[in-house]
Amino acid sequence: MASVSFNEIKKDFGKTQVLHGISLDISDGEFMVLVGPSGCGKSTLLRMLAGLEDITAGTIAIDGRVVNDLDSKDRDIAMVFQSYALYPHMTVRDNMGFSLKLRKDKPKRIAEGVSRAAKILNLEPYLERYPRELSGGQRQRVAMGRAIVRDPKVFLFDEPLSNLDAKLRVAMRSEIKALHQRLKTTTVYVTHDQVEAMTMADRIAVMNEGRIEQLGEPLELYDRPANLFVAQFIGSPAMNVLEGIYKGNFVEALGTRWPCSAKAQEGQGVKYGIRPEHLSFAGQGIPAEIEVVEPMGAETEVLVKIGGQTFTVMTHGRAGYGPGERVFVSPQAAHAHLFDASSGRRI
Amino acid sequence: MKRFTREAFLVLLAIPILLWTLLPIYHIFLFSISSKDSAFSGALWPDKPTLRNFGTIVREEHFYLHHFWSQIWNSLWIACAVGVITLAVATCAAFAISRLKVRGGRAVMNLALFTYFIPAAFLAIPMYKAMGMYGLLNNRWSLVLAMVTLAAPYAIWVLKQASDKLPIELDEAAKIDGATPLQLFRLVYLPLMTPSLIAIGTYALLLAWNEYLYAYLLLSHERTIPLAVALGHFIAADDSPWELLMATGLVYALPPAAIYYAFRRYMVSGLTTGAVKA
Repeated sequence: MASVSFNEIKKDFGKTQVLHGISLDISDGEFMVLVGPSGCGKSTLLRMLAGLEDITAGTIAIDGRVVNDLDSKDRDIAMVFQSYALYPHMTVRDNMGFSLKLRKDKPKRIAEGVSRAAKILNLEPYLERYPRELSGGQRQRVAMGRAIVRDPKVFLFDEPLSNLDAKLRVAMRSEIKALHQRLKTTTVYVTHDQVEAMTMADRIAVMNEGRIEQLGEPLELYDRPANLFVAQFIGSPAMNVLEGIYKGNFVEALGTRWPCSAKAQEGQGVKYGIRPEHLSFAGQGIPAEIEVVEPMGAETEVLVKIGGQTFTVMTHGRAGYGPGERVFVSPQAAHAHLFDASSGRRI
Repeated sequence: MKRFTREAFLVLLAIPILLWTLLPIYHIFLFSISSKDSAFSGALWPDKPTLRNFGTIVREEHFYLHHFWSQIWNSLWIACAVGVITLAVATCAAFAISRLKVRGGRAVMNLALFTYFIPAAFLAIPMYKAMGMYGLLNNRWSLVLAMVTLAAPYAIWVLKQASDKLPIELDEAAKIDGATPLQLFRLVYLPLMTPSLIAIGTYALLLAWNEYLYAYLLLSHERTIPLAVALGHFIAADDSPWELLMATGLVYALPPAAIYYAFRRYMVSGLTTGAVKA
């Protein structure tokens, strides 16, 4: 177990700068998720920690020791790749024991290490199989087994669930989380899926265009997004946002008044954000027209049109409406978010 | 109906191609089991088929066959040496260029491609001169080195393309697992490249086995020449022993056929690697 610290990390690919001075401290035993859209630099940051990319500027330290110039093998880390990266010509046992073999551990110790990891991951029946004889989920577990067998200071996960189908992804998500709770190894996990980030992380760093937009616990990011980017990236379905003018506890937009308890300067141009579950149907309020109804069983996602803009409303149970119907929508003022119209920062 | 027409067309096309390919082989076979007198009779099957020609070859009982065993040994030695050395050179080059991403790798690949534009015959005389300067003429190594020079660019090209297909994450995983470049090469790269290596090794081996021009130029002593050159000597005389020539030719054709048959699975998959974008 160890702490990880990024200090003013920069990365250039030729003339393009992809990371603009990232600083981030990850505590001992923490599960840190780096989340962001494609090309935001999250994988590059992870690969720099793994020693697979050179560091243009700044320092990375593991347990207080700067590792910039250390080879991957000397950093005491283990990584799980999106494509599993299992050695196809080796059995599960050999795949898992490979790093110990290279470390010249005794055969008895290798066998013990492999069987301990196999037991944790329920891989014991598959030890003599080749990767091609395993399902996607089993392969992913072998990749994780290969990582835990080494008992490293830090686990790195690079979008490990992206290649799995939806059902398996949910199952593996819980498995990884349970594994972390059991082993308590410091983990850095990269994903573009905000649901994965929300459900697994102790803390999340939301990244965009080579910068950290916000760092915090999952619900903190959800409840108090620091800016419009985080507000719209975290949460599914995404937050509804509309542009208007703040006037005494209301935002005037789309020809109607939207209540909010947050304060801004009178007459200030703002962006009003409201999550789908904080909009509800009522007997009176903002007039809207139903566009699409998506029943999901326990909840119903309803797309409505207000003043030419589409909004998502999430209701519990069945909606009881049909497309084209005219309804009233009522926002919960206490849950409305205000952002500066020009900078996008939270007010 | 359309499918039937298509298949009928293919069969009609295949028949002449098959005859075209098999007739010379049948011709060789026919000569090799005929006696000297009946070889030119024009019959489709000899009156008295005989294996005597093969006995003559094995016992080296003819003027042209006095060094048969040493000549076929030369062919084998040269072919195996070319196969092994080409494989060693090309594998290391492909690994360095494709996996270690060494500087100048691209230039090497372009140069390898460039060598295709130079006909082998064009280089024969300079090669003769070079081998002469090194004192290697009439030494089997001269032909080995020459053939490796000719086979390596293609081998590097094919192996590099095959290497590129291996996911880079495997190298990264091995690196994190603690593998040095040499361990990566030995424990991950070589096992995964086996089909391509077999294909390229076989290619180089057969190229050297079939070589005539360079062998004829660089080796001239009866004891150092490979069998391909020795076969050429048969037709130097006015009264050529055609039945022995054909029987020896048949013997000479057997090893490559056996090798090709044994490795046919790898030949097709290996040599087409990199031919199309996956």
